[in-house]
Amino acid sequence: MIDLSTLSSLDELFKQFNSGTHLNRLKDTELWVELENNQEAYQSIYTALGYTLVLDGRGFAYFKTDQGTSNTGKLTRRLALLLMLLFEFQADRGINLFQFQQWRIDDELITNIWQNYKTILEAEELNDVSAIKDTFDSAIRIGFIENDSGVYALLPAVHRYLDLFEELAQPEIPDETESKEEVL
Amino acid sequence: MSLAQYGFQKLVLLNSAGYSRAELPLDDSVSIVAPNNTGKTSLINALQFLLILDQRNMDFGSHSLEISRRFYFPNNCAYILLEVLLPTGSVVIGCVGKGLSHDYEYFAYSGSLDVGDYRLDDGSLVSQPKLISHLIGRDKLANIYQQTDLRALLYGNRQKQQSGAPDLTIFPLEYISHAATYQRILTRTLRLDRLDTREVKKYLLEIFKNDLNDRGVDFKSEWDKSFADVNRDKAQYDAVFRNKVLIETMELSQQERKALRGKIIHWKPLIEKGLNEWEAYHKKELGELTLVHQQLENDGLVLAERQKEIYKDQATTQHSLKEFQKQEKKCEDLSIQFQFVTDLAQLESQRQQQQDERDELVRLIKNVEARQSPSVIKKDIKKIERELIDLNQQLENLGDNLYLRLQELLPSDSFEVVKRLLARPVLSLSASSLDNELAFKDFVAQIEKSICNNQLILPGLSIDVSALEPNLVIKTANELEEDIKDCQGQQKELHKLLKTAEALSEETQKQKRLEQKIAQLNKDITDFKSLLELRENTQIRQSDIVKLRESLEVLGIEEKKLDESKGLIAESLKQNEEKRGAIEAQHRRINQSRNQRQDHQPQFSYLEQLPCLPYMEVGSLKMTELADQIESYNGDCQKLKQLDDRLKNKLDTLHHDDLSKFQYEESAEKELESLFAFTAQLALEKEAIERKSRSAVVQVAAILRGLRDSLETLKMRMNEFNNKINHRQLSDLKIFRIEPREEESLVGAIKTLISTSEQVDSGNSFDLFDHNTVLDDKALNKAKDILIREGEARGSIKVEHLFRLVFKIAKENQKPAEFENIDSAASNGTVLMAKLITGLAMLNQMQNPKKAVKTLCYLDEAASLDQKNQRNLIKTASEFGFTLIFASPEPQITARYCVPIGTKNGVNYINQFNWQILEPIDE
Repeated sequence: MIDLSTLSSLDELFKQFNSGTHLNRLKDTELWVELENNQEAYQSIYTALGYTLVLDGRGFAYFKTDQGTSNTGKLTRRLALLLMLLFEFQADRGINLFQFQQWRIDDELITNIWQNYKTILEAEELNDVSAIKDTFDSAIRIGFIENDSGVYALLPAVHRYLDLFEELAQPEIPDETESKEEVL
Repeated sequence: MSLAQYGFQKLVLLNSAGYSRAELPLDDSVSIVAPNNTGKTSLINALQFLLILDQRNMDFGSHSLEISRRFYFPNNCAYILLEVLLPTGSVVIGCVGKGLSHDYEYFAYSGSLDVGDYRLDDGSLVSQPKLISHLIGRDKLANIYQQTDLRALLYGNRQKQQSGAPDLTIFPLEYISHAATYQRILTRTLRLDRLDTREVKKYLLEIFKNDLNDRGVDFKSEWDKSFADVNRDKAQYDAVFRNKVLIETMELSQQERKALRGKIIHWKPLIEKGLNEWEAYHKKELGELTLVHQQLENDGLVLAERQKEIYKDQATTQHSLKEFQKQEKKCEDLSIQFQFVTDLAQLESQRQQQQDERDELVRLIKNVEARQSPSVIKKDIKKIERELIDLNQQLENLGDNLYLRLQELLPSDSFEVVKRLLARPVLSLSASSLDNELAFKDFVAQIEKSICNNQLILPGLSIDVSALEPNLVIKTANELEEDIKDCQGQQKELHKLLKTAEALSEETQKQKRLEQKIAQLNKDITDFKSLLELRENTQIRQSDIVKLRESLEVLGIEEKKLDESKGLIAESLKQNEEKRGAIEAQHRRINQSRNQRQDHQPQFSYLEQLPCLPYMEVGSLKMTELADQIESYNGDCQKLKQLDDRLKNKLDTLHHDDLSKFQYEESAEKELESLFAFTAQLALEKEAIERKSRSAVVQVAAILRGLRDSLETLKMRMNEFNNKINHRQLSDLKIFRIEPREEESLVGAIKTLISTSEQVDSGNSFDLFDHNTVLDDKALNKAKDILIREGEARGSIKVEHLFRLVFKIAKENQKPAEFENIDSAASNGTVLMAKLITGLAMLNQMQNPKKAVKTLCYLDEAASLDQKNQRNLIKTASEFGFTLIFASPEPQITARYCVPIGTKNGVNYINQFNWQILEPIDE
């Protein structure tokens, strides 16, 4: 039996997860610790409610869903595109992708990305730098990005995208392990 | 006997877990063979009662402890027995049911396990109450053990060792403190299917805890502790910095206050002295001034008297002078007036002439005045003229006139009537004037008819003519001429009269003029006489005038002088008055100021003891300036009080603004001095704070360094651990490692702090910190925030929070992949094996390598491993000090023993005789 009274953040966590928000260890430390300490209880409750709570040891947690709302879908699509371009851009500059949490995504970097991938971005109706920033701002709400004094930084949840990009980048190598579900 | 052979020898269950009897070899790998649900796992789980002991750590899967106890100890003849070969010899550890409560107790003794020891002669099992005596009867010196004591003994804690009792250390741990962990892992090892990274991490941390500094770091409190001084100093520095302007004004005020104190200290005795002498001084000054005043007033009066006299003399002289001047003027005027008069007689003759003329005029005027007015005279003249005309007509027509004609034509009585009816001029008309003689005669006849008895009867009118006078009496020519001459004389006189009458006003004017002339002449005569007289006195008079003028001048000069003297006296009086006023005013002011003195108030009583600046001006007291001085002194006292208040208020303001650094100095003065000194050296203080903050960072970093070092140690241990589990290839895994992955943000934050502290320590970056102080270091602050947040969320930061474990797995020709959950990493068999190896490695890690005692490890569903893997596993387990027990429906030929479970009458049994010992053919 799960003692619900010990799960102090059930409601708050559910609200966050259900709105598609990713909980980040770094940002929501208290909630994260609460979740980590009672991982099984939370997971089983949410499972009973029909949700799949994924707690990634790299420091983020979320509800795994098969399909998002149309709005989330659009945001996810744009964010995926932006992050992919960002990773590509950084990879081209020889930067270690796995240290993405340390990147400072400032105006200069955003402008560089915009200039480099203008055509691709415009296809997704990201018509200028401010549209990119709008997308990043939206991503702040769902826990992928944070804004520290005007400079964006990626949160651990971005691992989901990075995993996906990696997977897409190596389709020819067979993998016996369960193929990962498509992100979002 | 080699060390490797120490260890579990045999497990025996009697009347327990559905077994009437079960004997299981444990000295080498075993394959328990039985169909599913035949009690293989129950057999192994029975060991929990002997090895885990603590009911809280036991795990019977889906069965509760209560049910399990009933299952294992249905009555007081139920036994679970284990024989272990220890370096000190064989020991038997047993657990026997106590009866209906399904409770049980422990016992142990040295010696080998013989099932016969538990049977009575009749073949039935010995009941618990009789067990010990029964065993002793069979030379088995069994002891009853409390669960806790036995547990302690099993894990090598000899404190519980009873004298003479056997050594029961089955699990010779390197650290007794590992006992609980060991038990938990051991429990898991009996049931390894649920081992995951979290548990592995937990166990590994416990295993490595002696190598690690596992003290949790309450980062916030460490930070606060280290920075307490810095923050306090910084807060004070900030407060001072914030209030720098205020403090500077306070310093000025304090300077002013010290100067004022010096001044007041200097003046106080002088003022005292001055006030004591003031009354006498005031009286004396006032007396002198009064005397002077009186003298001046007297002088003033004398002057005034003299001035009055002068005015009088002046007036008299002036008057006389004017009089003479008037005479002189008169003389001059008269001389001009009578320029053409030679003597008095001339004037008198003129006057006589005028008088005569006047007398004549008076007579005429009187005459006229006796007559009538000019209009009456004119009327008389006209009357006379008519008379004259009439007379002349009568004279002219004397021979033939109408009178006579009528007299001819009419009878006398009628004539009498007509004579009376017609006017005299008509009657005197000439008869020649008749136009028609005949007609006239007719007319007369008609008239005559109209007359009757003196009455003229006309149509509508009858006139009685008897009352009328006859208008004409016929005179003679002489008479008429006489009358005419008389009339003409009257006419002439009347004309003259008329002329005089008409000229009367003019004449009267003329008379007046004459009268005036006469008066003027009279006056002239008088004047002339006085002129003559004046001329006679001219010389005397002029000399008098000169004299008078001179005396006036003298008087004027004197008067002017007097005026000046009066002015001087008035001025002196005024000055005297002013002086008196001034001295009185001063007196009043001094009295008032004396009453307003504040220097008797407490704070002035110890002024000399307070810091002050010596009064440098030469300050001597003049009585004349006493009022000013005392007022200024009072003003200074007041100002000092205000400064006291102001400084106190400002100091309070500073205290309110948390500037308390110097609040506990012995006095406010000292506090201020310290505060000013501090403020003056703010830049140096800033440096000092910076130095302190650097050493605080170093201090905090030292604590974090412990964490980091622990993490590094752990990584090293993990590496060793990985080497241990990779000693032999696991299944088909090329790589199987359990690797710690650092929590980037936390470790990064710790590294930031440590590297900052290193920079600070080396002193190389002093300049850098001058520009970018430790307290304002953004990266440092971010790192600090991360650690504080983490620390607050978790209570404290421990090594375990700095990493997570991942299973890094790669098969041949594959890139390694990392998994948090090993279950999803590979096939069931592989996963099972991986878990088993991990668990065994962990247990091994805890065992004292020098005192290895072989224990057992149970693997259910062993069939999921192929033989190669089974062999590998058996070898690896053996290396780790474990005997492997496979459980499967089919015999596993990789094991040394193959033990089938038999069933008779629904009860399981394993008999030693059923053991099949397998040996490789080549051995």
